[in-house]
Amino acid sequence: MSLSTSASSDGKTLTIQIRGKFDFNLVQSFRQAYAELGATTEKVVIDLRETDYMDSSALGMLLNMKKTLGDSVSAIQIANCRPQLKKILQISRFDKKFEID
Amino acid sequence: MRILVVDDQPLNCTLLRAMLEQQRYDVVVAANGKEAIDIVEQQEIDIVLLDVMMPVMDGFEAAPIIKRLTGEVYLPIIFITALEDHASFEKCLAVGGDDFIHKPFDRVILSAKIKAHARTRKLSQESHAQKKILEYHANQVEREHEIVEHIFKNALNEQAAYPTHCDFHLSPASMFNGDMFLLARSPMGGLYCMLGDFTGHGLAAAVGALPASRVFYTMVNKGMSVSDIAHEMNSLLNNLLPGHMFCAATIFELNESGRSLSMWLGGLPDAYLIDSQGKIIKTIESQHMALGILDEDEFERNLIHLEVSSQMRLLVSTDGIIETENSDGDFFGDEKLKRLIASTSNISTQDIVNTVKHFAGSDEQQDDLSIAILNCLPLPSIKSSEVTYSQLPLSVSMSLNAHQIRTTDPVLELVDVLSKVEGLSAHRSNVFLLMSEAYNNAVDHGVLGLDSAIKDKEDGFFEFYSLRAEALSTLKDAMVILTVSYEPDNRRLVICICDSGNGFTHQREKEHCMVREHGRGLSLLQEIASSVCYNQAGNEVEMIYSLK
Repeated sequence: MSLSTSASSDGKTLTIQIRGKFDFNLVQSFRQAYAELGATTEKVVIDLRETDYMDSSALGMLLNMKKTLGDSVSAIQIANCRPQLKKILQISRFDKKFEID
Repeated sequence: MRILVVDDQPLNCTLLRAMLEQQRYDVVVAANGKEAIDIVEQQEIDIVLLDVMMPVMDGFEAAPIIKRLTGEVYLPIIFITALEDHASFEKCLAVGGDDFIHKPFDRVILSAKIKAHARTRKLSQESHAQKKILEYHANQVEREHEIVEHIFKNALNEQAAYPTHCDFHLSPASMFNGDMFLLARSPMGGLYCMLGDFTGHGLAAAVGALPASRVFYTMVNKGMSVSDIAHEMNSLLNNLLPGHMFCAATIFELNESGRSLSMWLGGLPDAYLIDSQGKIIKTIESQHMALGILDEDEFERNLIHLEVSSQMRLLVSTDGIIETENSDGDFFGDEKLKRLIASTSNISTQDIVNTVKHFAGSDEQQDDLSIAILNCLPLPSIKSSEVTYSQLPLSVSMSLNAHQIRTTDPVLELVDVLSKVEGLSAHRSNVFLLMSEAYNNAVDHGVLGLDSAIKDKEDGFFEFYSLRAEALSTLKDAMVILTVSYEPDNRRLVICICDSGNGFTHQREKEHCMVREHGRGLSLLQEIASSVCYNQAGNEVEMIYSLK
């Protein structure tokens, strides 16, 4: 379980990548990851390509992020979900609030 | 040095033998052309002195046969002749003669001619020996190339083609000029491509491609990100290649929806994002040093992210295209390439390669024109393969005391154990979700008695988890029991979690359930599990998860 962030070369996209398990154990580090967003950041990508597990606490954390960032970014994208995680997001109607790709 | 004297007159033979032996030559004698041929077939002869007029077979007939027998090494034939007319000389030359010596023999002239031809014979022998060595080495190299080609073909064989998405051109011998193009899809459906150009030519340039392709396929298979692949490949090549060798590369991923491109660009010429008409939407310059140069801590993993649509195409190439030179010494260059791209709609790599070859003007094989065009289209979804399930029933149960609840993360470990059962691994995310929800519910609300309503307050989410950590640190006298049974006949998992908390009363069950689960969690459980059932006391939940 780990979390890493990286900015794109032009500084417009912040990618938060989560490996392994996405649950409340990441509460602090996840909040930290988007706490000090650069002024140039237009988009945040939550990259779940290496995320095997998530539960409702992860959903809560994502909603919290959405609430905190508000309109300061143009889009929050949840990217590269494995099929079962995508289904969890769909069941929870996250496709209404996030761009799921 | 052995000289063959061919003459039907014994006197001439004796005379020549005496003169030649005096000069320390080895002498063999034959009485006619036929005998001479027999001797040449059996012995190593260095010079032939051949009479013209002889019985059985004359010199004109014997000379071409002797020449044929000697193969590639020069065997001088010197005609012994009393004839003086030009026609005879010409005939001697026509049948393969190299020189003449007139009767009667002049010792000085004979000696000079023998020496001159002996020298030529020696040179010819030396060059023949060298040629043999060269041939041997050339064969060796060719064989090695064949082996490497074979290995490459097999190594790159898992490369499925995606003709609607990717059009690429690589020359058949590209690996020996260090060019490599890899293509693979990840389990999440993204299409990954890598165009690489190793420094150097020949085997040296090819060696790096093999391990690099392994890393690429393995990591794509695991669905790793482009930056992780670039990072791993850099470490590999940095350790593997000698200091002066590296690999300029562009690695990119088109995600399954075909709407987003992530690229790592290190050292290749500009890539172009173009529309279907060939208009350049964006020129994407290399951002980083080539792979295999920087140490791990210096390596930069930054990517370029592009939003793309189905009308867009990405063109990447190695420097072979723009560095192609024509007979006037002009390079093809970026400008010509850009004009070429814009000149027609939906240009193909073959169009580009043909134009570049035409520009170069020679028929010579241009073997380093490597180019790929990606069409940014949605990808067909990946079909999951048929899963087989274990026939053996399995039941796992653990009861955790307060200390264990405080210090362990049992759900993940339990899921890991269950994933080992054949067929269950494909369901691990769902199994995790069910157990994680139910276990956290048992701990948070059952054992710790926390109220989910806290989460609804401003910043309550974080407050909840800090309260939780606080309550957990002082937890005493508590127990949570997790039991999971795999029933192969019903093809389902029965998950049961009960806690030592107070539970709730039957009358308030329904309402309480909602509170305990805090809504979102419960609806998830009900969607994923085929049934969720609480006991009367409210401290035990049983969930059935169907594997069908």
